[in-house]
Amino acid sequence: MNGSTLLTLIWLLPMVTALVTLPMDNRNHGMIKKTALIGNSINLILIILLTFKFMASATALGTGVGTSETVLHFTQRLTWFKMLNIDYFIGVDAISVLMMLLTGIVVFTGTLASWNVNNQTKEFFALLNILAGGVYGVFISFDLFTLFLFYEIAVLPMYLLIGLWGTGDKEYAAMKLTLMLVAGSAFILAGILALYFESGINSFDMMALSKVHFPVAFQNWVFPLIFAGFGVLGALFPFHTWSPDGHASAPTAVSMLHAGVLMKLGGYGCLRVAMYLMPEGSQFWLPIFLILVTINVVYGAFGAIRQTDLKYITAYSSVSHCGLVLFGLTAMTYVGLKGAVLQMISHGLMTALFFCLIGMIYGRTKTRDIREMGGLMKVMPFLSVAFVITGLAGLGLPGLSGFVAEVTVFLGAFANPEPVYRVCTVLAILSIVVTAVYVLRTANSVVNGPIKENFQLLGDATWMEKIPVTILLFTIFAMGLLPGWIVDLVNGAVDPIFNKVMQ
Amino acid sequence: MNMIPLPDIVLLLLGFAVLAADLFASNKAVSYHLAWVGLIVVSLLIWIQPHDQEMVYLGTYRVAGFALLFKQFFTLSALFTLLLARSYFTGQGDQKGPMGNSGEFCTIILMCTFGMFTVVSASDMLTVFIGMELATVPLYVLSGFRKGDDLGAEAATKYIVMGTLSTCIGLFGYSFLYGRAGGMTFEALANYTAANPGDPLLHLGIVLILVATGFKLTLVPFHMWAPDVYEGAPTPVTSFLSVSSKGTAVGFLLLLFFGPLAPATPQLQNMLLLLAGVTMVVGNLGAMRQNNLRRFMAYSSIAQAGYIVMALAGESELAQQAIFYYLPVYAVANFAVFFIIAIVGRERGENFAALRGLSKQHPGLAAIMMLAMFSLAGIPPLAGFTGKFMLFAAAAKQGLYGMVLFAALNSTVSLYYYLLIIKEAYIVQPEAELNPLGISLMQKSGLLPLTLAMLLLGVVPMFSTAIMEIL
Repeated sequence: MNGSTLLTLIWLLPMVTALVTLPMDNRNHGMIKKTALIGNSINLILIILLTFKFMASATALGTGVGTSETVLHFTQRLTWFKMLNIDYFIGVDAISVLMMLLTGIVVFTGTLASWNVNNQTKEFFALLNILAGGVYGVFISFDLFTLFLFYEIAVLPMYLLIGLWGTGDKEYAAMKLTLMLVAGSAFILAGILALYFESGINSFDMMALSKVHFPVAFQNWVFPLIFAGFGVLGALFPFHTWSPDGHASAPTAVSMLHAGVLMKLGGYGCLRVAMYLMPEGSQFWLPIFLILVTINVVYGAFGAIRQTDLKYITAYSSVSHCGLVLFGLTAMTYVGLKGAVLQMISHGLMTALFFCLIGMIYGRTKTRDIREMGGLMKVMPFLSVAFVITGLAGLGLPGLSGFVAEVTVFLGAFANPEPVYRVCTVLAILSIVVTAVYVLRTANSVVNGPIKENFQLLGDATWMEKIPVTILLFTIFAMGLLPGWIVDLVNGAVDPIFNKVMQ
Repeated sequence: MNMIPLPDIVLLLLGFAVLAADLFASNKAVSYHLAWVGLIVVSLLIWIQPHDQEMVYLGTYRVAGFALLFKQFFTLSALFTLLLARSYFTGQGDQKGPMGNSGEFCTIILMCTFGMFTVVSASDMLTVFIGMELATVPLYVLSGFRKGDDLGAEAATKYIVMGTLSTCIGLFGYSFLYGRAGGMTFEALANYTAANPGDPLLHLGIVLILVATGFKLTLVPFHMWAPDVYEGAPTPVTSFLSVSSKGTAVGFLLLLFFGPLAPATPQLQNMLLLLAGVTMVVGNLGAMRQNNLRRFMAYSSIAQAGYIVMALAGESELAQQAIFYYLPVYAVANFAVFFIIAIVGRERGENFAALRGLSKQHPGLAAIMMLAMFSLAGIPPLAGFTGKFMLFAAAAKQGLYGMVLFAALNSTVSLYYYLLIIKEAYIVQPEAELNPLGISLMQKSGLLPLTLAMLLLGVVPMFSTAIMEIL
């Protein structure tokens, strides 16, 4: 199959799956779930196929190392709206492919993890699939209009997903999350329209725009609009407040997708749109954003210490870890950018597994308060061991994915000789200590200690639940032990962006 | 055949024919069916008119691509209004009982639509004025169409008082234009404006006309009547008001501002932006506090008018295309909402609580409501997103980035109250047992094309390309 057709198919397939389930009877849960699972399995296979094709194509076409122009593979361009010269322009580089792979894995495991959704099943899986389709769309779009369109498609289903199937104060959380994210996209919208008209070429084509040199004064006011706009989704301080409430209220699969993949759209947008198109703007603004991002990393970690609800702990740790993605970006060094991309992948896998496990534990204990838990190792050894491993990945234990990514980010940030970077890096590294405190304390109080009477009879994970956990554990180990091929791919994609930003 | 403006004449004759059928036919349904079939014929006639040549009849009636597009819009809007109105004349009607005189209703709608045709075809100020009156006066009658209903009477009274006042102000404005230009034709006006774009008396005239149009378009601060009239008038009339009547005002503004008055508009830019900004904010804040679906729609459409006026201040070519694009997109979502209000309102009233449980009882209806709300809020891949994007682009092309950001943030605010509706339909549980909802054939055949349009207008490129070519 042609590479570009494959790309279109990958975002189209989830949408089609959603459509196929629409006429089904809502009481026929099994049928709906199976359809969704089949759709997502095929999609995962397609993405793996794409990855292999991409690696072959990358060796053939070269990766653009040493130049300042991203080499796109599998490009395709169709005229869409002539009125504004909008094209459906797609393509991928290594970052896109890796992010799609991550999305594929998270969506697949998320579908398995939501096997117990029995209330309005059809709508749930349809919305989940639409969301996934939107995410894939963002990663392949190289036309700003198309990218923005998919971005919004990915954000909006969240309202119903949280509002309908969530727990706790879900209506408030859903509304807060949606409005904050859409407000972020209002800034992005103004920013991309400004890029379009000021470029003088009347085009949303990112490759064409990247060749235009925008006046420095212009970059200096548009860059913060777009960076902060995407930053809202990347949980940039002080726009992160939607994240703890949203993640805590969302159902399992939605938390997995949202923290695992959607938040990465923020970092991806910052890198691809803001930094790549406006290098001078980046050089001016990134040291300022660095301060905010450092607050992110440190504040997120301290926030997690204070929480007692498992989901809130993970949500705050996501704020801290997603902060590391942005931290890598603001580092303005080659290694830093690379670390940011690695951290996107690593955090995506790790946090998806975390939310997946929390969902399963909560399904049994009916509480997420760590003060009421304890000794779960005795009744559910599988889940408990997985929980501990995930926690260790979160605090950056060597051999797991978190270590590879975090070390790269910190090395990259420290490599920047400016004193402010040095200070911020030291602060950020210290946050790992805080991370260790909350991770170990949480794991300890959930897994060890005397077991409560009412938990005595709980069972371990079912066969169906073990599959997603095993897959995610496997990927975390794989990335931690053999990061080589991922790093190679990332090198090729990051180099042109870095050269462009630093030229 | 091209020597006469065929669609316009057919429409006028159709109006008389429907009236005659109402008088003489024994079966009262004849006039109704004649009306909607006739409108489809008119729509087809407009479709086959050549859109790339300009024809002038009697020196004052000009038909070109611009007019044809608007006429198609008005015809379809009238058609959907009739489809929507059917259930109010048959059987139980809504909670206030059935309405009578369906033949008269259809005639008035058709005559009103003819007035709108006149406005967009005018090439002198007198014709524009006559057209505006012809398009407005029937609406006073329609607002109070349900005789004996207090709210309806209140609505009609309010509307007629405010409407006449605005007509007076408009006439006053025309007199300034006439006095300065020395003629009634657009040509004379255009010549004068090109020579003296900064003439203060000319500007005064324009501002007065803008005030009069602002009343029809529900621009703040001339919007006060809208919520009451929208609530008091029968639902089909409300939908007609919110789509056709606003469309007329938009057509009129496009006709003047990008036509004879074009040289003077850059100097009015700040005023337009101020109007647009205030309209968005007031509309949005107002909509948040509503509990009645029709009042809610009134405020929502006030806010929508704000976005359109913002584009009016944008770069002229793109602004025209964008506004043309946005009008049908806005209309489609509005009609979809009114259809659902009609279906739900018949059994359960027209407040927010009536929507509860809709997603379980009628998933399809709830989904259409959600699509309409998302489309109005400008969420992709629905029509409203692309439409709003074009409007924002038109303003951005003029360099009004600050305004674009302001409007986009307003649009975020509007998402809040559109989500409230979705919340009622999907998340909030009904308190009592739900009685069954009946959906008539007319309502189904209205909702189907509307839903498809919401889904497709925003992603199918043909629509925007067609507008580009015709304009």
